[in-house]
Amino acid sequence: MSENKQEVHPDTITDVEAVIDTEEELIKECEEMWKDMEDCQNKLSLIGTETLTNADAQLSLLIMQMKCLTAELGQWKKRKPEIIPLNEDVLLTLGKEEFQKLRCDLEMVLSTIQSKNEKLKEDLEREQQWLDEQQQILDTLNVLNSDVENQVVTLTESRIFNELTTKIRGIKEFKEKLLLTLGAFLDNHFPLPEASTPKKRKNIQDSNAQLITLNEILEMLINRMFDVPHDPYVKIRDSFWPPYIELLLRYGIALRHPEDPSQIRLEAFHQ
Amino acid sequence: MSVLRSMDKLPDLNRATVLLVSTEDALLQQLAESMLKDDCASELRVHLANSLPLPSNVNRPRIDLIVFVINLHSKYSLQKVEEFLQHVDSSFFLGKVCFLVTGAGQESHCSVHQNTVIKLAHTYRSPLLLCDLQVESFRAAMARRLVRILQICAGHVPGVSALNLMSLLRSPENPPSKEL
Repeated sequence: MSENKQEVHPDTITDVEAVIDTEEELIKECEEMWKDMEDCQNKLSLIGTETLTNADAQLSLLIMQMKCLTAELGQWKKRKPEIIPLNEDVLLTLGKEEFQKLRCDLEMVLSTIQSKNEKLKEDLEREQQWLDEQQQILDTLNVLNSDVENQVVTLTESRIFNELTTKIRGIKEFKEKLLLTLGAFLDNHFPLPEASTPKKRKNIQDSNAQLITLNEILEMLINRMFDVPHDPYVKIRDSFWPPYIELLLRYGIALRHPEDPSQIRLEAFHQ
Repeated sequence: MSVLRSMDKLPDLNRATVLLVSTEDALLQQLAESMLKDDCASELRVHLANSLPLPSNVNRPRIDLIVFVINLHSKYSLQKVEEFLQHVDSSFFLGKVCFLVTGAGQESHCSVHQNTVIKLAHTYRSPLLLCDLQVESFRAAMARRLVRILQICAGHVPGVSALNLMSLLRSPENPPSKEL
């Protein structure tokens, strides 16, 4: 039992000594560096003070910068990588610090990526909602479009048909109205000679034929004109009352045949 | 009265000191508060000055960075900064001086043309930072940036020196014909 205790004690003492040695080494290194800095400081304090004016500032500064950069370059070239003392405690401490730093960095990256994911999810929800709304709008517009198409088709067909029918009916009525008016005009102003003076009665008694109205004469001329266009002449008959024939010829409504005075035709008003 | 020197004292352990110089005390105060709010591994010290040279009887720490703040709305501000530059040692201009210009956002109020401060920064081979210190968010961003620059100037970032940083920050050289 006493031997075991003695064995444990020397090991503990050895560990403590090792730690103390490491710290002393580090302190010595720091003190050496500090002495170097003090030496440099003493040298620098001997250099005189120099101020700049606007005139020569650039030139002086450029020269100084060139010197400094040259010196730095020399230092970098001369520099050799310092080897960390291969001491277990030092390496352990450095390793701990490195892992601690790595852990912090990874935690930061994790939180960043998580927040980015949340933002992407929110964006996705928003886009999905927007898509749904657009789909609803599209459906509504499609329904409206089909309704409008049906109405347009029906409206167009029925409207055109109604319009044409109305026009045709109007034209027919107008035609009938014109014919009636013209007929009435002729009856009023160009009556048959039967109801006139006794002289005309004598003429009627003399002739055997029965006279026809001016309306009928014009009708015969018009029908001849359109039914037989290559020979539109009508032979003068006894049923034509001579004053009416003279009337038509005088006013240019009818023309006499150039060779046969017993034939007349209607003026070609339609050509 | 003494000229500011960049290497006149030994550096304090893990400490960074910045000197903000301007005639605009209110802007400096706000900027200093923003810088102190920022998280910084080093112990941060912010000193304010409304004129140079500084009184010599006061014991002050080693200054790692000088920021000259120029307000474009005030010609007086620019004139004073130009005077202050005469009282700074030339070694400071090896990456430990920068110019911070404010007020460029409201051109109708500018009495100093932007090209003037650009030429000034170019003459002294130092970077020019533009920021509207009246806006809190802009001021906070600029404070963060200045703290980062300060850490590099104080030597707390391994592998990067102040002169390297300023070389990277500077814009491409203007054609000499334009300057002449």
